[in-house]
Amino acid sequence: MSRHPISCILPPYMLDQIAQNGTPEQRQKAELTATLTAQFRASRLEMAARPSAVPRAPGVAMRQRSVYTANFGSSLPGQLVRAEGAPPSGDAAVDEAYDGSGATYDLYWDVYQRNSIDGSGMRLDSTVHYQQGYDNAFWNGQQMVYGDGDEDLPPAQRLFNRFTISIDVIGHELTHGVTQHTGNLVYSNQPGALNESFSDVFGTLVKQRTLGQTVDQADWLIGAGLFTANVQGVALRSMKEPGTAYNDPVLGKDPQPGHMSDYVNTTSDNGGVHINSGIPNRAFYLTAKEIGGFAWEKAGRIWYVTLRDRIRSTTNFQQAADLTYAVAGELFGANSLEQMAVKNGWAGVGITVGSSSDGDTPQGCLQSVLKAFGIR
Amino acid sequence: MIIIFERTGGFAGISQRAVIDSSDLSPEEQQALEALLERSGFFDLPPRVTSGEEGVDRFQYLVTVEHGDRKHTVALDEVAVPETLQPLMRKLSLLARRFRSP
Repeated sequence: MSRHPISCILPPYMLDQIAQNGTPEQRQKAELTATLTAQFRASRLEMAARPSAVPRAPGVAMRQRSVYTANFGSSLPGQLVRAEGAPPSGDAAVDEAYDGSGATYDLYWDVYQRNSIDGSGMRLDSTVHYQQGYDNAFWNGQQMVYGDGDEDLPPAQRLFNRFTISIDVIGHELTHGVTQHTGNLVYSNQPGALNESFSDVFGTLVKQRTLGQTVDQADWLIGAGLFTANVQGVALRSMKEPGTAYNDPVLGKDPQPGHMSDYVNTTSDNGGVHINSGIPNRAFYLTAKEIGGFAWEKAGRIWYVTLRDRIRSTTNFQQAADLTYAVAGELFGANSLEQMAVKNGWAGVGITVGSSSDGDTPQGCLQSVLKAFGIR
Repeated sequence: MIIIFERTGGFAGISQRAVIDSSDLSPEEQQALEALLERSGFFDLPPRVTSGEEGVDRFQYLVTVEHGDRKHTVALDEVAVPETLQPLMRKLSLLARRFRSP
């Protein structure tokens, strides 16, 4: 894959060399390149600074949460129980949804300067007590919806608790909204698994930030706390070791792969979006672990900027690897520790950055820019 | 009556597959299940119950019911499943835990 000139940084001293030693035509092009690269730099800085493509809503960025109850039925949003600023309701599901969506808003605003799901202060609506015995949670395009798990069954038969009990579930659902407003990954096959993975990544970052955990302190589990004691399992998924979260006589075994060699080809689950997400999940875990510290600061920033600016609806795993690698280089510098961590993270799941075959032989930045200006 | 039940997707991504033979159920359970099937209008459903929507973290169902001389298979996306079908889906999902196919 040849580098697009806009992704390159051509050091000024190289342009000086061309200006001094080149032919008149090359000198002219070097001067033009210097002007254009200055424009590229300014454009990159501007892109990194803006929270979204949509103009920011006027006034101070603030959370606007509303939590409703569906009263065990299916009508959405249902009956308002707790509005923004209201005190705890005493209903655990309501208060968890309220607190969890607040923590998710705070991650996106405090760390990434993103004002809510759409970047423009969109309301955060949640409905709890959806249906009876609904062992699930989802994002319906406008709001979050949470079931009560098996709270309709006698305790000895329960496998699932209510779905608001894990803060990463809340972060996961809200991030589906962010993805919808940014990369908008199609919900099937590899793009769908990426969609799922971004939700797990930012879901777990909400949890880690709430608990103040470094990459070494975090458990990297998704949905820990959702299973009752009747289940042989610690969580729904493990980003650290996909496939190890549970192995239960009733629920079965965690089917997630952690490497491309174990990619699951299936038509179930929209092409295995909750299954193959294990691969990019582990790539993020490895990247964050290598960088160290708090995962949301650097690894999370690379992933966020990639999602916001570079992901497309049909982006696949290889492309996501290339994009996160490129973004890491832009944010932290070519050959930086952070960029190398991204490369190693994807290598750990069997994906080599820069190895997608677009027809061109791989070209570095200098070649690409010179070619673009007809010098080579 | 034989029911072949499959549920995939959902936030947890946990697949359920089960063959439920009504003769393994108590008489009360059998009656309740037959009543649920009738109330839900299962045998009148089209072979595919879907909507155009992308059901993020929603379930997909594949249900076959053989009852007497009636046999009907329906593939359902949760996004499109009407409220009247919810109690049946929940019941079948709970039965699937008991009669899980490996």
